[in-house]
Amino acid sequence: MPEVEYQTTMSVPPGKVWDFVKDMNNWAPFLTGYQKHEVLSEADSIWTLKGDVGILSRQVQLKAHVTEWNGPERVSFTLTGLNEQVDGDGTLVMAPIAEGAPPVMPAKLDLFARFVRFLVRLMFRVVHGRSVEKAPVVKGPPQSSLSFRLRMDALGPTGPLVNAMLGPALLPAAEDLANKIAAHLERTQP
Amino acid sequence: MAWFGKKKEAKPDFEVDVLVIGSGGAGLTAAIAAHDAGAKVMVIEKAERVGGTTAVSGGVLWIPNNHHMAEAGVADSRAEALQYVLRLADGRSSQALVETFLDQAPRMLRYLEGHTPLKFKALGRYPDYHPEFEGGKPGGRSLDPGLFDTNTLGPWKPRLRRSPVFGATAMSVTEATDWGVFSKPLQLPFELLGKRYAQGLVCYGAALVGGLLRAALDRGVEPQLRVAARELLVEDGRVVGLRAQSGDKDIVILAKRGVILASGGFEWNSALAAQFLGGVLTHPNSPPGNEGDGLKLAMSVGADLGNMSEAWWCPSLCIPGEEYEGRPLHRGDFATRSLPHTIIVNRAGRRFVNEAQNYNDLMKPFFAFDPMRYERANLPAWLVFDQQYADKYALMTFMPGQPLPEWIPRADSLDALAGKIGVEAAGLSATVKRFNGFAARGIDEDFQRGESVYDHFYGDPANQPSPNLGALEKGPFYALEVHPGAIGTKGGARTNGQAQVLRPGGEVVEGLYAAGNVMAGITGPGYPGAGATIGTAMTFGFLAGEHAAGRSLT
Repeated sequence: MPEVEYQTTMSVPPGKVWDFVKDMNNWAPFLTGYQKHEVLSEADSIWTLKGDVGILSRQVQLKAHVTEWNGPERVSFTLTGLNEQVDGDGTLVMAPIAEGAPPVMPAKLDLFARFVRFLVRLMFRVVHGRSVEKAPVVKGPPQSSLSFRLRMDALGPTGPLVNAMLGPALLPAAEDLANKIAAHLERTQP
Repeated sequence: MAWFGKKKEAKPDFEVDVLVIGSGGAGLTAAIAAHDAGAKVMVIEKAERVGGTTAVSGGVLWIPNNHHMAEAGVADSRAEALQYVLRLADGRSSQALVETFLDQAPRMLRYLEGHTPLKFKALGRYPDYHPEFEGGKPGGRSLDPGLFDTNTLGPWKPRLRRSPVFGATAMSVTEATDWGVFSKPLQLPFELLGKRYAQGLVCYGAALVGGLLRAALDRGVEPQLRVAARELLVEDGRVVGLRAQSGDKDIVILAKRGVILASGGFEWNSALAAQFLGGVLTHPNSPPGNEGDGLKLAMSVGADLGNMSEAWWCPSLCIPGEEYEGRPLHRGDFATRSLPHTIIVNRAGRRFVNEAQNYNDLMKPFFAFDPMRYERANLPAWLVFDQQYADKYALMTFMPGQPLPEWIPRADSLDALAGKIGVEAAGLSATVKRFNGFAARGIDEDFQRGESVYDHFYGDPANQPSPNLGALEKGPFYALEVHPGAIGTKGGARTNGQAQVLRPGGEVVEGLYAAGNVMAGITGPGYPGAGATIGTAMTFGFLAGEHAAGRSLT
């Protein structure tokens, strides 16, 4: 089952990050393929995404259920496919970065891993016709980190095949969301 | 320099011997042949990926009397193939061109196998599309390119076009047949297919184009992507180059030995389709870039046109919201309608065709015109099926037993379903009752569904007494609209046996060639067998490349 994690940093205090993240209406449009969402309750919402899986683009409806709403540090949720046989879960973690601390870096990648990552990003751009948001330009010393972990699992007999297709698309999607949130906050915070 | 009667001074951006417009099967084969015959070749492609219509196809070549048929235990002859193709062409093609194809296609095949990574295997059980006609065969003329490892393309890997329908399931046509892709979808080895996808293996049209692209790259011919043809350059009546658009820039390419049109059909150009086609085409199955660019170029220099009313027709089914390159995806339906527990009806609730016959001929009754009502009697049309179908077989991407999405109309009774889709309830009930009787006896007295070995190929061999007939009797009952589609048009510039474009008087337009769906198809309204599209396209591409370069390769 494909699972990815991506971390970025920003020169915005954690409280401000939380203020933004806690209202899903703020960042919903930053999701890759976002079409619309409907809030059912504090914990439940339905999301319609245009999912680029492999070669074609297809509308996917997912029900999101918040399992942990622990501001200003952490939001966890589960995902259930309404029109596709998929489920998944994810976590957004916001953490302060102590002044003078060494910069938070994504896991160190060896040369081969960096090449694979480059290829995935290139394919995402070529196949899906758009590029992934790059890590934002940080205005000042980093104050917060934002991590996004996402797992998606295709179910049913075709699951192994669909998971193989989902895998390469997940990391760019996670990067895209985290970096867009960070870039937005960098742009809009004084 | 005078170009097409106009005085134009322009410094060329590129100067080559042979320019090929389009990177599908016809274009890449033409490029390989022209290169090997000694020419400096350039290929331009409007899209951002290589492969055109071929890449989204089944990737099969139909080549009668090919040297692999013996391995499949099928005997063939030129005479049988000629008789068969001419019958299907229905007097609307040139016998000379059919004979050229029959004589040259096996040579092209041998050459490619000898000089490129491509290796083919005869599909011994894939029948011609009218195998019972004189000269038809129960298999062997259609050739499978197998699998292709896209990693061998290096940086070109992501630039290889893949089918939105077949592109993820890396199984060869041979495997698909052996594994029962249509009749036993739950038994497909999805673990293996997932591994193959992750490994970068592709099948069908992407495999064929992958091999051709690798061969082109090996020759130093790198297709120039996102370059759209705009205007042929003509000097003293001879085509000498092309004005094209590369991004925002106009470029001029001089091609001293010739320009080969291999840019596909016009099925995505609704104006051209409405103007020329004899049938209705609202849901093409090909890449959206097939807008008749090459046809318009040919017309601009006075080319004669042929077979313009015809397409490689194919019924389309759609999943709302699915897109390919920003346009709605229309899935060609090759098997659903052939499997048990399905029928196709018109608004009167009546069947009007053998649902299991080949997709090209299937569509022709869809276009039947009612002169009294002044409307198409069989449009809209609906595929109607029952829960037994949903339990046993796949419907597009929905696997057996998986709940079907809510957007598919359904009802517990046929009458209620008819009301939902605007079909006459009494007609539908009577039709199903009669069809269920046929299913019980295994004989379709109205349309002979299940009589041809072709029908059986797409049926369920475990279903008795007919692999194609099963009653619709277990609710809920479902309906899906069947849209008129095509995998490409097949009318275009008329050519001679060297693929040189002709004027209405029969004289050659010097320096201009056509191959593939931009060329007037040689099979008229007929579709002889799987890969007749690509087999003819690559053969005339090969001939065009040789002739433009000025040397025969064998």
